Amino acid sequence: MTTETNETKPILELDHVSYSYTKGGKKVLRDITHSFRTGEVHSITGPSGAGKTTMLSLISGLANPTEGKVLYNGKDLAKQDRYDYRSHDIGVIFQSFNLLPQLTVAENIMLSMDASGKKFDQPKKELAVKLLEQVHLPAEYANERILHLSGGEQQRVAIARALSYGPSVIVADEPTGNLDLGTQEDIMSIFRTLAHEQNVCVIIVTHSPEVAAASDEVFELAPLRRR
Amino acid sequence: MFVVKNAWRNVIRNKGRNILIAIIVAIIAAAATIGLAIRQAAVTARETGLENTTITAQISFDRSKAISELRNSSSSSDSSDSSSDSSDSSSSSSDSAPDFDAMREAMSDKQLTLADYQKYAKASSAVKSTYYTETASLAATDDFQPVEDSTSSSSSSSSSSDSSSSSSGSSSSDSSKSDANGSGDGQQQPGGGQGGGMGGMTMTTGDFSLVGFSSDEAVANAENGTFTMSDGEVFGYDSDSDGDVIISKELADFNNLSVGDTITVENASDSDTTYKLTIVGIYENSTESSNQMGGPMNSTASDPANAIYTSVSTLKSLGLDSDSTIETTDSSGNTTETAAAQLNYTYVFSSKDDYETFVSDVADAGLSDDYTVSSADVEQYESSLVPLNNLAQFALTLLLIVLGVGAVVLVVITLFNVRERKYEVGVLTAIGVKKVKVAAQFTFELLVVTMIGLALGAAGGAIASVPVSNQLLAAQVAQQESQASSQNAQFGRDMQGPGAPGSSSSDSASDSSSSDSSSSSDSSSSSSDSSSSSNTTNTNAGRQNGPGGMMGQAVSYVSNVNATVNLKIVGQLLAIGLGLTLVAALVAVVFVMRYEPLQILADRS
Repeated sequence: MTTETNETKPILELDHVSYSYTKGGKKVLRDITHSFRTGEVHSITGPSGAGKTTMLSLISGLANPTEGKVLYNGKDLAKQDRYDYRSHDIGVIFQSFNLLPQLTVAENIMLSMDASGKKFDQPKKELAVKLLEQVHLPAEYANERILHLSGGEQQRVAIARALSYGPSVIVADEPTGNLDLGTQEDIMSIFRTLAHEQNVCVIIVTHSPEVAAASDEVFELAPLRRR
Repeated sequence: MFVVKNAWRNVIRNKGRNILIAIIVAIIAAAATIGLAIRQAAVTARETGLENTTITAQISFDRSKAISELRNSSSSSDSSDSSSDSSDSSSSSSDSAPDFDAMREAMSDKQLTLADYQKYAKASSAVKSTYYTETASLAATDDFQPVEDSTSSSSSSSSSSDSSSSSSGSSSSDSSKSDANGSGDGQQQPGGGQGGGMGGMTMTTGDFSLVGFSSDEAVANAENGTFTMSDGEVFGYDSDSDGDVIISKELADFNNLSVGDTITVENASDSDTTYKLTIVGIYENSTESSNQMGGPMNSTASDPANAIYTSVSTLKSLGLDSDSTIETTDSSGNTTETAAAQLNYTYVFSSKDDYETFVSDVADAGLSDDYTVSSADVEQYESSLVPLNNLAQFALTLLLIVLGVGAVVLVVITLFNVRERKYEVGVLTAIGVKKVKVAAQFTFELLVVTMIGLALGAAGGAIASVPVSNQLLAAQVAQQESQASSQNAQFGRDMQGPGAPGSSSSDSASDSSSSDSSSSSDSSSSSSDSSSSSNTTNTNAGRQNGPGGMMGQAVSYVSNVNATVNLKIVGQLLAIGLGLTLVAALVAVVFVMRYEPLQILADRS
């Protein structure tokens, strides 16, 4: 898995992608073509119902496009093992975080590390604590239960988890949706650091103009009905 | 590795739920352990119970079969009337039956000779040893009289005390019977009483029974029970000792005889023939006969006190062995030629397997279907296993129910478990854990929990199995005994007519033998003799006594079962546990495979 890619060559491409939830049903996405490059923060914006989350599902390999292709490093995602893709190559930060409430913060992070099957040169627990630092959480949170954390803190844990196995693409669904402005800025700075300093492709789905303004590139999805 | 580690963490994490599952599994496992242990114990008891004890068996002529065949062959309608050698008293009309003699003859032809018995003994290598007794009847002479009346009660009082009440019952009926018939019966031939209806075959007419033994083994299994010598020695078995007899202490005292004296007795059917016998010993019955044949028989010859023991060689020299014939004339004037003595041939086997080998071997050797090989030991053992078999049946039912319920409960719990953890499945699959791994993880979690439950249950079951199974067995035995006693009561009433309370004394006699199998095999070997004699001597009364005696024979049921848990049971349990877990896990797997992460997560948010 190449983590180092040419600036000009996109790591992820959407090639005339359409998607409908039911076969032959209403198309949520229609003929989308877009490229995502590493080292940049991409924003996908658009009004509610424009298919932002659906697009994210396609990117993260949770769904296959009805038409068209999603290319990762030039290869069709539909023909790859999407479980491997999810566990190795892409870190997804879900809108609802999708952390396991019965696990501690560190356990949640380590679960993703274990799932990736990657080898780590440091003990996973230490890595987890370092990741917490990276998302500006104190180390003593490591042994805290997820439910004891606030929404913003959970969001950071979700980011830490997505980063834990060093994916080349980070996808975040409304990462700042219900956070205060300060936290929002902090989280955006984390993403920018990731993209600019660790050469990660960050894709953020948002309807917040501030987030869009803070990103390197904005892809706007038009509302479906108007097309 | 990830799967195992994750599964283990989850097991630790969800303590409450897993403890619940473990408890349920433990209960299932404990019940299954007990069930399996009982079943195995029953099988083991069945297999090994007779393994190391000697078994005696007899070949007997299946009379009812032969009779029915004969009856079919004779087309006359009144043959059914005459065939009533059975117990019902309407057979008194049998005198007039025309084919009566034919049938009797046909049946007496069927009696196996000593040579036949020996042939079959040689036919099978399974026979450990054989012995036989021949019983002839003798009549009293003026200077040698049988013990009558009160002697019978004295004999029973000398025997074990616990049988006193029942034996007094039998002895009183005994004495009243002999009172009623005694005088007329003294010299009289077969026809004397009801029992003599079938004439020549009965040996219990006359005043004495002269019992010839083939060996010490035969003596040890004497039908009147074991005895001890109070004076003198037991006769020898070769022809040098011909004419040597031993008599009971009662008889000796009654006639004021001692060792070395000579007695003179008459042939029971021919008063002109007399025999001189030398008393070489006086014996004392140490145990009550387990089957008091004398009960229903109104002859003094059947009184154990009037048994004269000698060797078969003596009988042969007197012309009273089973190969010799005597002519008898019954009360209606029919003359029949029958064997002078009744042969009672016993085969001894070292194990039940040998007995079974013998059964098939003699069939191969040409023993016809008219004869049956039977072993009272085996029969008694089989009936002693009835409660155990019932228990094993119960255990199997319990096992199946427990497994069925257990499987359902486990499946339902797993179902709820997986549904409850749907979100977890969604998250795991969303972060890229393959569904197979998730399913494997769930399975492994279940396996860990069920194995813990299984271990606890097996341990609990192992501790509980012995007392629980014995408790259950005791209930079964009690049930069986009450059933038997109610049957006995019923039969006792039915049998009252001919006066066959002999069974009651046999009851107490075998009761007094303790319940553990080793000693019961002792008592059964002696009782085997008695029942065999009822088979082979073919007396009418014996047949009457037969069913009553069967019922009355208080089988010492196997009341203790060694339902211990061994590796085999643990293995079976493990297999059962794995089976149940896999069934439940299959449900989990199906559900996990059906889940789509996107769906789950979309539902959630």
